[in-house]
Amino acid sequence: MINIERQQGLLLAVSKKLKEKITVYAVGGTAMMFLGLKDSTVDIDIVFESRKDRELFKDAIKSLDYKEMDSVIVYGGRANRPEMLTLGDERFDLFVKEVIDFMFSNEMQKRAKQLHQFGDNLLLKIADPHDIILMKCATDRVKDMDDAMSIIKNNPNINWELIVEEAKNQVKLGKGKAIFELGYFFERLEEKFGKIVPKKITDELWDLLGEEVKERKK
Amino acid sequence: METKKLLRKLQGTQTIESVKLILAVSREKAIYYIYRLRKQGYVRTKRQGNKRIYNISFENKLGGISYYDIINENSPIKISTSELYKIYGKKPSLEETLVYAIKTKSLRVILASLALFKKIHDWNELYSLSKRNHVERQAGALYDLARTIIRTRKITKRFLNKSIPRKQDKYIYIIENLSSKDFKEIENKWKVYLPFNKADLEDYKSKKFPN
Repeated sequence: MINIERQQGLLLAVSKKLKEKITVYAVGGTAMMFLGLKDSTVDIDIVFESRKDRELFKDAIKSLDYKEMDSVIVYGGRANRPEMLTLGDERFDLFVKEVIDFMFSNEMQKRAKQLHQFGDNLLLKIADPHDIILMKCATDRVKDMDDAMSIIKNNPNINWELIVEEAKNQVKLGKGKAIFELGYFFERLEEKFGKIVPKKITDELWDLLGEEVKERKK
Repeated sequence: METKKLLRKLQGTQTIESVKLILAVSREKAIYYIYRLRKQGYVRTKRQGNKRIYNISFENKLGGISYYDIINENSPIKISTSELYKIYGKKPSLEETLVYAIKTKSLRVILASLALFKKIHDWNELYSLSKRNHVERQAGALYDLARTIIRTRKITKRFLNKSIPRKQDKYIYIIENLSSKDFKEIENKWKVYLPFNKADLEDYKSKKFPN
């Protein structure tokens, strides 16, 4: 587990090892920690704008003794798995634009308003809480559902429409499966924690899902 | 009381009195709760006369410094913003902060950052940073504007020679569609429209510079 202080020290160390200035997006537990929604995390989920940036980042963390590991162990055979590096019980999950069945879209990038600069070379943008929920749905690992619930519980002003809008956007970006994943994620979330998602929203998701099924039949 | 709940209730600027009122507790308990939050890194304390003013927020725990902190440290005009841009592992220079301020295109941020010219002395750094961000003429024009209200170090000839506009250069805005009625001379020298009139700079006369 990595806490806020350790995480900041680590990101500063990575910045010092980076050979070029890069901008990255924190989308999982790390983002939640910066938003005050979590005290610690096991995996540091980061989305890069390009493969080149990911390589630069990987080189930096490798020089801090992190070792590559097989992402199949955590993500199975799913598409757009991250590259993973680990040291002790800490782990980096490094994605490039696509996070399993979701795209980290331009809209999501624009919504990432909080900026944290480490040294001169690492600029970390924090995903918006709505997008963290979508990313939790995308990665769907053991603790992801609990994290999504924690975001919902701590944000009384969750804009469910925004989540649906982004789901529609994902379809436009060719990620039709995202609708299925989101519907399934919400269903399991409600099985575990009770009624959470407004009916209007689940209805809208069902409609989108219906359209997507028709589209696939074609 | 759970820390998260306490933090949510007390987020913002507080005094012992306001904490007493919000939590409906005794003075001793209010002091204890502030102590608890400070111990966990959520509290920054300022003195205002004899009073202690507590800034309580989650962001304080993250540490780091923001460009706005640097502007507020150096300017009599204070800025409060919901935007969060924290920097860790280094303290940005005043020159860097000025360039950031220009790029925000925010009237209040740029106004407050004029005070930075009082201490800016590394004109080479200011030139190279502003050149990289394509704001060298804006920086030059703001320097001349700052000199109408505060004492500054003298800009180097090198900065001037490299930044003064050429004949063919067009006028540019610092903030879109805002120009000055009172500082035409500076505007013409730099071919930069300034977003301020004399009245906007009044705060610099009435407010005290931080030490």
